Amino acid sequence: MPPDSGIALNDGEILSVRGLTAAYGESKVLFEIDLSAKHRQVVACVGRNGAGKTTLLKSIAGFVRPRSGSIMANQVSLVGLKSYDIARMGIKYIPQDKKVFSDLTVRENLELGSYATGDYDWNRITAYFPKLRELMDRKAGYLSGGERQMLMIGRALLGRPKVLLIDEPTEGLAPSIVAHLKDVFTELSRNTALVMVEQNLPLVCAIAAKVYALKEGRMVAELTDRESIRPEVCERYL
Amino acid sequence: MMDAQLLASGVIFGLSIGSIFFLMAIGLSLCFGLMRIISLDQLLYYSIGAYITYSVSLATGSIWLGMLGGVFVAGIASMAVERFVFPRIYEREITFSMITSFGILIGGIGIIKYFWGVVPRPVPVPTLAQIDILGTEVPIYRLIVIVVAALVYIGIWLFLNRTIIGKAIRAGIEDVEHVEGLGINVSRLFTITFIIAGSLSGLAGGLHAPLIMVDPQMGLEVLAFVFMVVIIGGLGSIKGTLVSAFIVGQVVSLGSLVYAPLAQMAPFAIMLLILLVKPTGLYGSALLKR
Repeated sequence: MPPDSGIALNDGEILSVRGLTAAYGESKVLFEIDLSAKHRQVVACVGRNGAGKTTLLKSIAGFVRPRSGSIMANQVSLVGLKSYDIARMGIKYIPQDKKVFSDLTVRENLELGSYATGDYDWNRITAYFPKLRELMDRKAGYLSGGERQMLMIGRALLGRPKVLLIDEPTEGLAPSIVAHLKDVFTELSRNTALVMVEQNLPLVCAIAAKVYALKEGRMVAELTDRESIRPEVCERYL
Repeated sequence: MMDAQLLASGVIFGLSIGSIFFLMAIGLSLCFGLMRIISLDQLLYYSIGAYITYSVSLATGSIWLGMLGGVFVAGIASMAVERFVFPRIYEREITFSMITSFGILIGGIGIIKYFWGVVPRPVPVPTLAQIDILGTEVPIYRLIVIVVAALVYIGIWLFLNRTIIGKAIRAGIEDVEHVEGLGINVSRLFTITFIIAGSLSGLAGGLHAPLIMVDPQMGLEVLAFVFMVVIIGGLGSIKGTLVSAFIVGQVVSLGSLVYAPLAQMAPFAIMLLILLVKPTGLYGSALLKR
């Protein structure tokens, strides 16, 4: 039986996950997860490796089919939709692997994003990431980790997404790039909801309005006030 | 010692047979690259291409029209199979695609036998003209086959590198999930790729038909060679498929001039040697590991 999809969103919520359970084969990875994000809100999920954070994002993005529960975005159930339909609805997933299409140039990578969304306004992308301008004709396989991340975020921004699901965006990046990404995320959150899985607690606490802590597939905490969204508090739940 | 005339004719023969292998193998290679399936049913579209060429040329007197019909019918047949059979296979292990597509091939051979019988059919050569190369008379038709393969290679290259659908296919060969994540309907890419593959297999059958007798088992007869071409070239690589098809074509052709059984054995030896040195094939990439 398909998971229930008849749950209405609360005021201002653009994304709502209720009672989400997901599994790989027989092995359950997520247990009854609840999560919500409002318009222009930065929401972070923290937890140790294997806590189920990536599976949570992949379930929302349609890459993992939930066993039960509901995922609603703008009054539409995402459960059972193809991942490309979910992306077209403006819910974009940026994976943690930093895998760009390495045989394609930066320009071609962006072209694919434009083809999918019909949005050819690259000035907005290069305003966030000016470096991409000079890398346009370079094969993406030759980019550094930071440049790849810029390209992946830039590509996902085409089509003006409503929700960005970002998986470990700063993992393995130099501090200067992390600082730049922090500014970009802050700027993006003026128009877009960000749901971010991130291990960098100072970054999370600096930009997130809500922090969820996951442990062994279960949501163990939901921090919503500035007092509790501090690295030392988040640390307790890891 | 082989004389220059024999060598020239052997090389041209090898290039033309390599061209046929290339046209067939390119479909298998693209299908594996993008969809991670082993599409043995491509050999059925090759047979369909040949049989339609036979029937249409018999009815109209035009072999070229027959080949065009062969490409068209093979394309339609491949589209039907992709739409109705493969969606159930894509998410399963690769062996499923191998077994299912082999079943389609065997079933298709049965249908061919039902309509055309088991007796081999001759297809006339479109032109009997010959050209003198290094003192040896070479049939122009074999040169046409080589030129067609070269044009197809250029066309496929332009399609993959200059069109957005082609770029999406190249991206999908690297990582299909990331392509989906951008909002691109990959099912459509799969269908387009499969139709291209099936049509090219049909073209291979149509072009090969005047050089052999068309018979229901013709797909099975070239199965091993086409497989070798794909593996030697590197799965998913168009350039590798081209190079490898010409290597196998030359080995078959020149091998048979030296010692007839070599035509069958030597390609396997070459494949083993290449795989020992480069397990991903000549132009295969570790990127293809998913």
